[in-house]
Amino acid sequence: MHPPLTPQKLLLRTSLAGALLVAILLGCSLVGPQAISLKAAFHGPQIGGTPNPDYEILVRVRIPRVLLAAMVGAALAASGVIFQALLRNPLADPYILGVSSGAGLGAMLAVIGGLSWTLWGRSPIALFAFIGALGTVWLVWGIGRVTGKYQVTGLLLAGVVVNAFFSAMIMFLISIARSQQLYATIFWLMGNMTEEDWLVLWVGGGCILAGIVSLFFLGPQLNILSVGRQDARSIGVPVERVELAAFAISAFITAAAVSLSGLIGFVGLIVPHAVRLVFGPDHRQLIPLSGLVGAMFLVVADTVARMVVAPAQLPVGVVTAMIGGPFFLLLLVAHSKKVYWAA
Amino acid sequence: MTAAIQVNQVSFRYSPQRQVLSGIDLSVRAGTFLAVVGPNGVGKSTLIQVMAGMLKPRSGSVLLEGKDLRSYGVRELARKVALVRQEFVPAFGFSVYETVLMARTPCYGQWGFESREDREQVAKALERTDTARFASRALGSLSAGERQRVFIARALAQNTPILLLDEPTSFLDLKHQVAIYDLLKSIQQETAATIIAVTHDINLASQYCDEALLLYPVAGEVAPSEPAPHPTRHRVGPTREILTPEAIQSAFGVAIFSGVIGKERFVVPLGSHAKDANIPRSSDV
Repeated sequence: MHPPLTPQKLLLRTSLAGALLVAILLGCSLVGPQAISLKAAFHGPQIGGTPNPDYEILVRVRIPRVLLAAMVGAALAASGVIFQALLRNPLADPYILGVSSGAGLGAMLAVIGGLSWTLWGRSPIALFAFIGALGTVWLVWGIGRVTGKYQVTGLLLAGVVVNAFFSAMIMFLISIARSQQLYATIFWLMGNMTEEDWLVLWVGGGCILAGIVSLFFLGPQLNILSVGRQDARSIGVPVERVELAAFAISAFITAAAVSLSGLIGFVGLIVPHAVRLVFGPDHRQLIPLSGLVGAMFLVVADTVARMVVAPAQLPVGVVTAMIGGPFFLLLLVAHSKKVYWAA
Repeated sequence: MTAAIQVNQVSFRYSPQRQVLSGIDLSVRAGTFLAVVGPNGVGKSTLIQVMAGMLKPRSGSVLLEGKDLRSYGVRELARKVALVRQEFVPAFGFSVYETVLMARTPCYGQWGFESREDREQVAKALERTDTARFASRALGSLSAGERQRVFIARALAQNTPILLLDEPTSFLDLKHQVAIYDLLKSIQQETAATIIAVTHDINLASQYCDEALLLYPVAGEVAPSEPAPHPTRHRVGPTREILTPEAIQSAFGVAIFSGVIGKERFVVPLGSHAKDANIPRSSDV
């Protein structure tokens, strides 16, 4: 079994994972169809009056892209942890309560509706996806409150049904869409990274980082909540408040991630399990480490997606499942002897 | 002297069709070991949950150390009452130590970590329940009896004057049933805690508990429109006066054989299709 967590251990592991993430970010931003040199990039935007291509590619294309992947990966993995804990269900992921289908429907509506206006020079797809995602979670949460006051099954069922319903609406919209509109949305639904501008990165990254840090402070309460609501209440945890805060924060960062990158599967399900298998179930550690590992995983997966069919690109969602699946199975087999699943 | 727990005219229903408790009166002195006995569905667990503040009574009130339960905050209540619920299987692989430590969650510092005092309380609870030797094992790898002790340890680590248990010995074999009751008795004697346990083990209750609360089923179905249903019949007092053969026979609706061993009276249920249907109904062995 895993020895109990101490603050020193947590600090050490998070720092090491943080350092590894920085190394991966740097390494992956140097990899791409067009070879660039870090040394050349350090000369700045211009060399002797002419633009420096190495700098341009690094700062305008590669770094924004790897940072976006890191943000999205961290948000999905950390919220996966929260959804699994609150629903007390190892099969839960950030999409289980409808974020995915809600965001998808929002995005489809934006495309099909032929919205041509722009917001600060940007397409409204992300905004619609964000609103769709949050609206759906809010709806599911409301239904779950009514039906599942004493158990989470009501909430889960509400999530599954709303997901199925909205997915059907997405299918309907796809079937009546014109082919040109289809191409944009299919890529979005498969999960796709693009080069975002720095404003989006700052705002999105700030929200996601703040969200994960606040979730960390709910870690001890989430430990007891993942055992049971009544257990949590009887030891003195204000269950409703903690649940609402955790759900709201994780739904918010998931919605932010999804609206920036589309539906990237697998990260939110697999990364929490992988971290739990190796480091144990304590949420004080699970939340920060899952965030960091999720970031690393998606950065690497996105780099692979950029490289394998270069100069074309694969949707990153395809890569996460193709790398993540076998890797997770290996981990599962290697660690299954010392871990007890729900018997 | 103020009672540790005082229940005044408490009624509870899950829905208009499912009235489980009505007009319950109960006063438990501090330091008492009380058994709550009665047939399935009569509301024993519900009563424990009401006393633990998990369920709000529809009418009536519960006083904890003289103060109305409703005026307690969640944390304040958790410092007075610990609850051990019925056996269940945990979802994630927490270890025994981590599980017991969770009892201290509300006392953690601002960075979410336990203090030295929290660790000492946990060590004490592990030792008292004899669970320290498997503290690093996963909860899911333990036997039912060991797991039940871990949950009692978690309740002890909460360091409360009142301990409520919902069927702590269901699913346990004879040896472990006795072990749990020995443990509870030693806790009562060493810490002067008030212990209230829902149980089906009438014989163990007679041996270990000071007092018993016997709940009888409500006579007939309660019509939904009826404004004041029949009060749940209940009797409370020293175990010897409450758990009498006649009372048990009528509360459970089953024939029993009863006999006295030493100072206590024991009961054995008798079925009509038993191999020997001619067993005498009572005997003083």
